[in-house]
Amino acid sequence: MSASVRGRAWFERLTAGAKPIAQLPASVLAADASIEGHAVRAVAVVPDPNGRFPRARNGQMGIDEGFGLATAVSGTPSGSAILAIVDVPGQSFGTREEAVGLQRALAASTNAYIRARRSGHPVLALVVGKAISGAFLCHGLQAGWIGALDDEGIEIHVMSEAAVARVTRMEREDLARVAREVPATARDIRTFATLGGIDRLFPVSDPSAPSDADVAMVVHALAEVLRNPSLGLRNPRERLDAPAALHTRALSRRVRDELQAAWDA
Amino acid sequence: MIETLTYEFPANEGVQHRAHVGVVASGNCEILLEPAPEGRSSIVVRTSVSGFGATWQAVLGRFFTRNPVAVQIEINDFGATPAVVSLRLEQALESAH
Amino acid sequence: MSLLLAESFAERSARDRARALLDPQSFRELLGPFARIASPYLEAQGVVPQSDDGTVVARGTIGGVRACVVATDGRFLGGSIGEIGGAKIAGALELARRDAQRGTPTRLVLALDTGGIRLQEANLAILSVSEICDGIVALRELMPVVAVIAGRVGVYGGLSLSTALCSQIIVSEGARVGLNGPDVVETESGLDEMDSSDRPLIWRVTGGQLRFRQGFATELVSDDVAGIRAAVERAFEEPRELGPLVPQPFPDPRLERDAFLRAMEIEP
Repeated sequence: MSASVRGRAWFERLTAGAKPIAQLPASVLAADASIEGHAVRAVAVVPDPNGRFPRARNGQMGIDEGFGLATAVSGTPSGSAILAIVDVPGQSFGTREEAVGLQRALAASTNAYIRARRSGHPVLALVVGKAISGAFLCHGLQAGWIGALDDEGIEIHVMSEAAVARVTRMEREDLARVAREVPATARDIRTFATLGGIDRLFPVSDPSAPSDADVAMVVHALAEVLRNPSLGLRNPRERLDAPAALHTRALSRRVRDELQAAWDA
Repeated sequence: MIETLTYEFPANEGVQHRAHVGVVASGNCEILLEPAPEGRSSIVVRTSVSGFGATWQAVLGRFFTRNPVAVQIEINDFGATPAVVSLRLEQALESAH
Repeated sequence: MSLLLAESFAERSARDRARALLDPQSFRELLGPFARIASPYLEAQGVVPQSDDGTVVARGTIGGVRACVVATDGRFLGGSIGEIGGAKIAGALELARRDAQRGTPTRLVLALDTGGIRLQEANLAILSVSEICDGIVALRELMPVVAVIAGRVGVYGGLSLSTALCSQIIVSEGARVGLNGPDVVETESGLDEMDSSDRPLIWRVTGGQLRFRQGFATELVSDDVAGIRAAVERAFEEPRELGPLVPQPFPDPRLERDAFLRAMEIEP
């Protein structure tokens, strides 16, 4: 699997040379930047070919990444928003990880994002590449506002495409047919947006090496979101009421309503 | 894919309660049973194993011949054998009385 | 307690586990099978849906106090969480928080037995798991959130991440708690990394005993209904300290795999 460069590229452009936070694993980038005057701590997980865990050198969310993100996010200065730049092919698959307890590392990051948001830091996410499974749960999905590049290289799912094909023993064409009938199984960003998961799509000229115009567009949009802090403070439950989710998440809302009626009966 | 089969049998007995047994696990099935208006029982089978319509007819036929109850039954099946289906039907009926 | 009297929790259905954890006669299921809220996505993928979508929500009391137990059924699609199951869990967390805020707290227990997110409902389920995570942290601000991992599957995937956010975690010796299932690790990283047929190794690497030893669970129980009931009550009455979510010391990961495990006092 070739390592993705998108996360680092967007991190560097959006933080525009701000000094990276020290004392983090090399696979966790964090810096306190300014987006049109708004203080933002940007965080990203990137490949580290020299990572100490052999199964986490390609940008996967592993032990060091999960706990490193937690450190970076929970150290966000007062008054600063948080921007998760997301390009993670998934979690790391290894015996060492399972023994050490990878679920806790990812929980640490998830917890840090939730607590930061609940204590008043607006949390934004920008998906620039893959956003798979536990990696997306712990880095991105707790944001109150999620933007994404409008690009075919974006993938949102609970496992890699290769793994889905192996598990289901289905051919590509069959998987594509299922994806059309059951949008929840589609991997592309536009279909995910129909589930109410995405607030804004950005068509860009080069997702891996953003142009000045690409960056300016995204910066401007992020600033607009930051001017309205309540957006970044929304919790995941509020996504259920998004206009885009009117039909696609009607069943989730129905279950909530019926559950409440029965609970209080 | 999923096959949906429907059956009806004459009935002249009632049941007191509704009942639920089983689970949609490999080799198993789930049965929901409810009292139905007099005179007939109706059964809907949803199964991931196609082509066994005649077998379902036979298994259900035997059950309703022995137990001519007016019930509405829903069976969600994941490859249960006739023996397992019959057992589940008996369990459901026992719960319902 | 005599072994003859010990009743297995793991062999019970999700419904019966919920019944067992609630005070006798207090069990009342919400959105049960006859509500027929079943997954509309499965038939198109060759799967027959179950009437409760594999997740049971039951109200009742625990130690006489208002309570709700949510239990997943490990036998239906590996206990995997789809849109409906996810909405049941997230909804129960939200209602428990609402009750706590109103001054009439409802004790919430998550009896999870699940392989994680249901592949056939992937992105709807992942959205619901993000709601579950937030719901747990929000409820935790007001009262203990108790997870019981004592089934045959254990807990994996996004629900394992969620479990680690709970404030009281009760695990059985027979349950496994990990992020990626052994077959997934083997498929992704090879047989040398993990042999999913080596069951004893799997339990040594991810089983309840290890997790308790590591300080990742607040109580270790055997597969016994009465013992688990008592542990759940204790979790609310006398909550224990669960360490913060920071890395516990581990050996140098650059060590060869078996050496790493031995250094963790796990027989490879």
